[in-house]
Amino acid sequence: MGKLLARAFMGFAALWIIFPILVVCLAALNGGRTMFFPPEDPTLARFAEFFLIEEIWVRSLQTSFVVAFSSAALAVLTAWPIAYALWRRNSRASKLVAGLASMPFALPPIVFGVGLVFFWGYLGALGDLWSGILSHTILFLALPLTTLSIGLQSIDRAHLDAAATMGASETTAFRTIILPQMMPFTASGFFFALVLSFNEFIVIFFVSASGYSTVTVQIFNSLRNGFTPTMAVGAITFLAISALVFSLIARFGNLPQLLGADTSKSS
Amino acid sequence: MTASTLPQRSVLRGIGVLHVAAVLVLAVVPFLLVFAISFGHKVEGAAWVWGFELTNYRRFFVGTDYPDSVSLLYLKYLWYSVWYALVAAILAVATAFPFVWLMTRGSRRAQTVWLVFFLCSLTFSEVFIVMGWDILMSNRSGLPMVFQETGLTDWLKENGGLDLLREWGLATPRNVRFKPSEFATILTLTYLVWPYAVILLYPPISKIEREVVEAARTMGASPFTVVRTVVMPMVRTPLVGAVLLLFVFLLGAYVTIAVFADPSKHTLSISVYEAVRGSTLNAPFGSAQAVVLLLTAAAVLVIGQRFLSAKTGGH
Amino acid sequence: MKGAEEVSDLILEDVRKEFGSFVAVQGANLTFEAGKLTALLGPSGCGKTTLLRMIAGLEGPTKGRILLNGQDIAPLPAEKRKFGMVFQSFALFPHLNVARNVSYSLRIAGVDAATRRARAQELLDLVQLGDKGQNRVGELSGGQRQRVAIARALAQEPEIFLLDEPMSALDAKLRNDMQMELRLLQQRLGITTIVVTHDQREAMTMADRIVVMSHGRVEQVGTPQEIYHRPANAFVASFIGNANLLQGLSTERGVRLGDTEFAVADHGGFGAGRAVTLFCRPEAVRLSDSVPAANGLPGTVTFVRDEGVAREVHLDTPAGHVTAEIPGSFHETVRIGDRVHVEFPADTLHLLPAIESKAA
Repeated sequence: MGKLLARAFMGFAALWIIFPILVVCLAALNGGRTMFFPPEDPTLARFAEFFLIEEIWVRSLQTSFVVAFSSAALAVLTAWPIAYALWRRNSRASKLVAGLASMPFALPPIVFGVGLVFFWGYLGALGDLWSGILSHTILFLALPLTTLSIGLQSIDRAHLDAAATMGASETTAFRTIILPQMMPFTASGFFFALVLSFNEFIVIFFVSASGYSTVTVQIFNSLRNGFTPTMAVGAITFLAISALVFSLIARFGNLPQLLGADTSKSS
Repeated sequence: MTASTLPQRSVLRGIGVLHVAAVLVLAVVPFLLVFAISFGHKVEGAAWVWGFELTNYRRFFVGTDYPDSVSLLYLKYLWYSVWYALVAAILAVATAFPFVWLMTRGSRRAQTVWLVFFLCSLTFSEVFIVMGWDILMSNRSGLPMVFQETGLTDWLKENGGLDLLREWGLATPRNVRFKPSEFATILTLTYLVWPYAVILLYPPISKIEREVVEAARTMGASPFTVVRTVVMPMVRTPLVGAVLLLFVFLLGAYVTIAVFADPSKHTLSISVYEAVRGSTLNAPFGSAQAVVLLLTAAAVLVIGQRFLSAKTGGH
Repeated sequence: MKGAEEVSDLILEDVRKEFGSFVAVQGANLTFEAGKLTALLGPSGCGKTTLLRMIAGLEGPTKGRILLNGQDIAPLPAEKRKFGMVFQSFALFPHLNVARNVSYSLRIAGVDAATRRARAQELLDLVQLGDKGQNRVGELSGGQRQRVAIARALAQEPEIFLLDEPMSALDAKLRNDMQMELRLLQQRLGITTIVVTHDQREAMTMADRIVVMSHGRVEQVGTPQEIYHRPANAFVASFIGNANLLQGLSTERGVRLGDTEFAVADHGGFGAGRAVTLFCRPEAVRLSDSVPAANGLPGTVTFVRDEGVAREVHLDTPAGHVTAEIPGSFHETVRIGDRVHVEFPADTLHLLPAIESKAA
């Protein structure tokens, strides 16, 4: 009886999360120009429009990809030395740097967005694509910083001692012991940043300053004219990317460990 | 004791210092700029100049014409920011907690599947989520249509349910109407942070050992009593912590408010946008509002921390 | 294997290690004989692991010299010494398979792949894991992991072979087997070996010489027999096996416990009238119904632990608590409350310095 109740509750929660997402996805099948649910006159023409025909969508999807990939890669490269120094030295200074570097992610993003408008405006870079990429790099720096720190902490220091007794210098040990063991954590950090950058709206909305638009910004801008089924295709695309990325992380990394669960008891 | 030579090391050190400096500039300077510009001066018909005046804060708290008249418009925005964020954060944590408890009692494989599911919905952009709820709640399609088609509307009309809903602002004389409304706003905000609540509560709850629960059960506690008397007290700190984090996150919510809230019940994030990038273009005043938003977040965090440490200290 | 090549003793001169205000090792002077197995034995926190890590080069000594082949190696980092080491957790690299773990040192030394493979196979054969080379580390049992760790440490043909609590991750049965196996392997290779352990049985099983440590100090160095039968002080006597330690005053030819004077074979050069500790192993104590000729005390049995092969009898005597170990027997019984005579044969008694009182 209790078990049944528990299952029902969990099922209801899953339904509550999935329902609006499902609605968006099914809306993409609408044949007309307006969104209906359930869809009227189902067709796949919207997919062609989103990926191939309508230039604003094609271009904003490209922009989204460029911003997400570059900022995620930069975030990982930026986070590595900080995470490594934090782990190696564990000094008060390195803790402070890591804390400050995570601040943009922890505080309401709208405030950071406002600050970035001033910052890039001051440098004359507001509305440039590269400043948007750097903005996302800093905003999501906290993610690879966290996954890398979790990974480094899980490295047994005895491994480094063992490598040293076998003739490995610090650089050699880094290359042969730390780096290979850190690959899943590096990839996870990259993909977390990638997916969040892809879906981020408010900061990029502020710093793009109508110079370019990502899919999320384009959708918000089209909001005034009402939603169209083509936008729903964007939603499906993004959802598919998230699902793919997190399944990969779950498959090749230890997702519960990355999220901070205690995994010492199992395996 | 590394093999690298001295000049090599100093070059490395130089690169390290530059790296840290660049990160800190990008992460900290924008916040400092917001703070500094909030004391700046808006030039009519032009941009703004640096300065040190409290005009923007005076306008925020008592209005421009003070002391001749008092305007509490922006305090009202602040109030709605706090109100929406607080209610949605508490609702999300309160409903996510039992879910996470049940989830962590499942197999590791099932847990991973759930986590992937929630991470997907968690990263799903705010604009898409708003889109989904908008379709569901819009008057021409979605739930109001369902109400109409199934005759639920007529049934509500007959037994006075519709009048009650109208009092709550959730209906017109002809049918139910969900947006704009506080109901729709809070519902969507709760939905927005629900997966976050799951992810935040997952680590502490997953660390509660099975044996602790089994020990309580051998002493005669029903599963429900176990949750109430053992699990809840054990994770009280993470529960309050999650409410605080979600609250801070929701303070900056923009799209949901813009779409679902009545303009008279808008929040600070909307008026910050209006001032910085939108129609009013008053950067110093926008900054002042952003600073107040930030200080509110900080104040709530500090109070929450005090509350938690006082509770644990008194134990 | 190097084998025939002459390697000198490893000599520690006044080696000291401080961590802040904590002194982990205070001025150790030790000689580790070439080709022999030495055990560093002591309770946890006695500084034995720190001493081993200083020998490996993983910690720098605060003071002192470490001499090998007439050269002070104290300033050299671990990667220059290349002493093979087996870690408590084995520290096998999870991202490499068994063979690659074993040949790791050769790979980073730039040895070609074919030689590496051959050497890895040779070493895995040596530890009887010849068919496990391609396995992942996670697929091995505890005992197999330890063998891999040993093979890996030996791959670089180290001058000194170090093991830090190598048996602590194994269960009791396996531990006994591995102690014998490791000892036989070490004797076959004739490699200078240092093992850190807190288990006196393990030290006595494997070691040529034992270094007993406590609180960062070397308490005694000797063969297992010397350490057991001629402990230098009360700490060593009680840490190695069981010991009866009775407080008394030294006399011309023996010791006075209360009213009774005992003759002692090994007087230890104490003058008369000094506070001393009388040491006697439980298996040397004799129990009888009749009054012995000399060195006897009346006693009452307080507890009997019958282990089958032997019987441990706990007694109250006028001189204090005494434990006797007598052969197990099916016919004779000893019961709690029995009154017996306890005899301490003179040739099994030794005098040790008095146990320092806590206040001193």
